[in-house]
Amino acid sequence: MALVSPTVRSSTQEQVRQGLTRRDRNVAGLVLQVLLLLAVLTTLLILFTLVIRLVTPAVPVFRERGFGFLTGTIGSDPDKVGIWPGLYGSFFIGLGIVLIGIPLGIAAAIYLEEYAHDSRLNRFIVVNIRNLAGVPAVIYGVLGLTIFVGWLDPITQGKTVIAAALTLAVLVLPIIIITASEAIRAVPQGLRDAGYGVGASRWEVTRDHVLPYAAPGILTGTVLSLARALGEAAPLILIGAITGLLPRTSLDGAFTALPMTIYSWSSKADVPGSVLGFENVAAAAGVVLLLLVLFFNIIAVVLRNKYEKKRTGT
Amino acid sequence: MNTSKRRLALAGVISLSLLAAACGDDEETATTEAPAATEAPAATEAPAATEAPAATEAPAATEAPSGDVELAAGEVFVTGSSTVEPISIRVGELAGELSGGDLAVTVEGPGTGDGFKKFCAGEGDVTGASRSIKDEEAAACTEAGINYVELQVGIDGLTVATSPANTAVECLDVPALYALLGPESEGFENWSDANDLATELGSAFVPLPDAPLVISGPGEESGTYDTLVEFVAKKIAEERGVEDAFRADYASSPNDNLIVEGIEGSDTSLGWIGYAYFKAEAERMKAIEIANKDGECIAPTDETVADGSYPFSRPLFIYVNVDNAKENPAVASYIDLFLSEQGFAQVVDAGYVAEAADKQEAARAAWAGI
Repeated sequence: MALVSPTVRSSTQEQVRQGLTRRDRNVAGLVLQVLLLLAVLTTLLILFTLVIRLVTPAVPVFRERGFGFLTGTIGSDPDKVGIWPGLYGSFFIGLGIVLIGIPLGIAAAIYLEEYAHDSRLNRFIVVNIRNLAGVPAVIYGVLGLTIFVGWLDPITQGKTVIAAALTLAVLVLPIIIITASEAIRAVPQGLRDAGYGVGASRWEVTRDHVLPYAAPGILTGTVLSLARALGEAAPLILIGAITGLLPRTSLDGAFTALPMTIYSWSSKADVPGSVLGFENVAAAAGVVLLLLVLFFNIIAVVLRNKYEKKRTGT
Repeated sequence: MNTSKRRLALAGVISLSLLAAACGDDEETATTEAPAATEAPAATEAPAATEAPAATEAPAATEAPSGDVELAAGEVFVTGSSTVEPISIRVGELAGELSGGDLAVTVEGPGTGDGFKKFCAGEGDVTGASRSIKDEEAAACTEAGINYVELQVGIDGLTVATSPANTAVECLDVPALYALLGPESEGFENWSDANDLATELGSAFVPLPDAPLVISGPGEESGTYDTLVEFVAKKIAEERGVEDAFRADYASSPNDNLIVEGIEGSDTSLGWIGYAYFKAEAERMKAIEIANKDGECIAPTDETVADGSYPFSRPLFIYVNVDNAKENPAVASYIDLFLSEQGFAQVVDAGYVAEAADKQEAARAAWAGI
């Protein structure tokens, strides 16, 4: 350094000094920062508009109807309709995913990550699962109609909530497998080696070390998939969810779900003389669906925090 | 024999309903599967009919089913036309209310064609239809051993509409509409583009205004589309050897709200929609009058649609699976209610036009004759 400094002219030195200390030393960087901030603000603005747009027309429904809106059934009069059949359907679809989709998905992920060898066949399987995650939902509706409504009719009793739950469980299976695989892959190898080192079997290591460590990641994936399935309407249209009148809900009879109810109400003409419009009840059903999804998210966050504490604690 | 059991269940109204059956016997044209056995009780009651020739007796007979229809508990599945769906829903709601929830009616509305497909495959006790059953659909039903009865329950008027701001168009005839909407009109972006074709077809409403043509209407999946094709395109397309459909390049939607928005959204729009929806949103659209065969312009109103003088009105039907109705008292109860005074009132509530009293009576007679 000492050799170089005398050869640099003072004007150049000044330029360099200014360049390093002036506040606007990096115009391009600043522009980028502003653009990124704008992106965040735009997203927030859209979200905010959406919530306002949804909640504003929904408020009169909750004020006028209260719990009657939750316990009533779908029908022709927006002053009297309720979302009970939708809630019932969505609840059992959620239950079906929790009981079938999630265990199946996690089991498949454990196999792929912990048991399967890195063979050409297994790589082929993984690629296909990733592709399945990108298949449009309506295609799963066709699949559900063929397999669960058609072939498995003795089990599902045709166009029922059971068929719908199975279809949506299959729909989210790839997402569960991918997220669970990634969570399991992120578990440090040392953890497994330590387990094997003290003589634990593969299943013992998986059960006692890998799964608890990967639990937060797995949970995030499962909740995202649950939220996706609860909001899905396209496959249910094909499976034959009812949008007209459904006074009686049962597991082996006709069914509907919240997104279908919202969809059908959104396209109905208002009834002259009624206080509430179908626009209002559709928005109110949307709010309930949002709350339902939010509820599942909160459960997942609580569970994740619990597991994360455990992980950092041990 | 099951029919008589059903009648016993309706003990309170048995004599009056039989009277109605006897009265309506000669009008019983819609019944396709009337079994000989049911003719017998009607015949034995025939003398009773002579006891009640007084005109005042007739309304009493029609009121009888409305007052105290005894509704059986059970489940009914209704499919079919999305146009008839609102009526079926309202009658279903009424059934639920009157039976304290014991009579549970499930209603869906996939469309007339899909409805017949399901109905003739044995899915569903009742299917709604915005047109009569087609020959091939009837054949499918026969092949599957499904016996049905056709009951006309109301009338639907189609409304061809434009924006209230459009003062250039008041009335159109079928050739002009064909020239604007037909399969040969693809690419017409101005009303006046259709002038040559309309003149060729002999329309009395040329020249059409020189204004942008913005079309919105229901898509091919809709019964309302089918019906307007039938009214406007079928005959002319056949004569000209083209497909009986409409041009594909217009804004189509299964959502009536979006169609209304489309019609309202442009000052020189052209669209069509069910009369019920037109009536509900009448201030947002202007109905275009339709010229009848004599060249008279008829506006769609409750009266012109009901008496059939408005060219674009159509009957609405329900088809009932006769065997299901005999086996399942819930189905029979639902149809009894549908054809009662209260039931027919739902047709009006749903925004359609009620039928004349004699036609309602004919439907009851057809039903009693199964």
